[in-house]
Amino acid sequence: MMRRVAPCLACIGLLLVWQLASLALNNDSFPTALEAIRAIPAVLGDKDSLVNFGASLRRMTIGFSVALAVSIPLGLLMGRSRAVASFFNPLLMVIYPVPKAALMPIIMLWLGVGDLSKTLVIFLGVSLPVIYHSFEGAKAVEEKMLWSGAAMGLSAIQRLVRIVLPAALPEILTGCRTGLVLALITMITSEMIARQSGAGNILFNALDMGQYDTVFAMIIIVGAMGIGLDALFERLRARLVRWAEPQFDIPLSFS
Amino acid sequence: MNARTIISDLLLGLIPIVLLVAVWQALVSFGYAPVTLLPPPGHVFQRMVALLLNTTYQRDIAATLFRLFAGFAIAVILGVSVGLAAAVNPTINAAVRPIVRVLAPLPKVALYPALLLLVGFGHESKILLVTFDALFPILLSTYYGASTVEQKLIWSAMAAGTPPREVLFKVVLPAAAPSILTGCRIGLVISCIVVFLAEMITSTDGLGHVLVTAARTFQAVDMFVPLITISLLGLILNGLLELLRSYLLRGFPEV
Repeated sequence: MMRRVAPCLACIGLLLVWQLASLALNNDSFPTALEAIRAIPAVLGDKDSLVNFGASLRRMTIGFSVALAVSIPLGLLMGRSRAVASFFNPLLMVIYPVPKAALMPIIMLWLGVGDLSKTLVIFLGVSLPVIYHSFEGAKAVEEKMLWSGAAMGLSAIQRLVRIVLPAALPEILTGCRTGLVLALITMITSEMIARQSGAGNILFNALDMGQYDTVFAMIIIVGAMGIGLDALFERLRARLVRWAEPQFDIPLSFS
Repeated sequence: MNARTIISDLLLGLIPIVLLVAVWQALVSFGYAPVTLLPPPGHVFQRMVALLLNTTYQRDIAATLFRLFAGFAIAVILGVSVGLAAAVNPTINAAVRPIVRVLAPLPKVALYPALLLLVGFGHESKILLVTFDALFPILLSTYYGASTVEQKLIWSAMAAGTPPREVLFKVVLPAAAPSILTGCRIGLVISCIVVFLAEMITSTDGLGHVLVTAARTFQAVDMFVPLITISLLGLILNGLLELLRSYLLRGFPEV
């Protein structure tokens, strides 16, 4: 019971702190929490912005699912074969500290400002943590299980799908959770750089035009999306890997 | 693992990086990509060396590094102290936990417009954004490190007459050090990425600003240089942290 209520209380507490702070500062560019919440229906009711949100979510879903489809097999292979691991590790290490959304201006030059470049950036942002966690998960699979599988006549691919994948699943899902938060972050940033459509577009255009109510309403909406998606994913995770206790019940968010 | 396998692993790892540069060069020299969109690698590295010797560019790097370290330092101090306090004291834990639960999956970039409006366009808003983003991985790993300290260690220290306050610094903090340092490493890479993004959004100096200026004037060469620089900086800082880690953890078994 308490576990359910506590996050809601925290939300209310944070909004309350915001309200008091803005009342105390009394600054034109810092609307109170109530004003920002009142601006949400106006933002969500607008047909244009709904189209924008739809476009954002579509890109995020495509980028996220393609990233999962590529990274999980790659990570598992890296975890099981030392040659594959030492082949890809240095490359991934070099790419790791590159801000993925900062590739946007360059990718825009090649692929234009449309969906393709934004989806590609989301894909790049999501794949690294997922590869890393699948790698770690596959590495920790107990050798004895693989030996028994081999002794019972499973081929290498069957072993990968039927032993390594389920055994590494809790770790993989941890990576997916980090990736989900990251997909949202990259989505917003890429749309901020290529202001053509999407939620990031609304947010930063409102900032440039000085519509501060809309800015803060968008912050609430995007934040709620992050928290909501995370909670949904946690539900899914709990169903898929009922046997494993979550190592971290809060995602370590990457950027 | 002997020296020979390490060398062959290194060689294997170099292949994809070399391949990448070779494909890049081939794309340009066989005319698949115009030089204005994809400058040849040699050209980019020449430009990079020229810029690294340039005082304006050095000043940009210094600005970026200053923001990175300021934000990261605040995040480490806050994260470690709050994480320790939450692990030791149940009351603080009950208050911190739900707040972290709500704030951790929030896409922090969306907060940047609010920070801009509140604290202005100078260093402060960027440093704060870096702090927000790096804080949670450090806080969480400190918390998990400190709450999994073996109870026997604490009991023995208390039996030997260590006052409870000193147990925290003499037993809990060192025992949690490996976990804290892992959190710091994640936080450091995040700081690199976030400081760059923040500078891309609004700034008058720093590496992100160099990239944006180059993008607006279609100087493809100058767009690659800051990206490579930030990635190198990330690798160097990561290496330094690794050195610090092996120095601090010299008594620990291999982790």
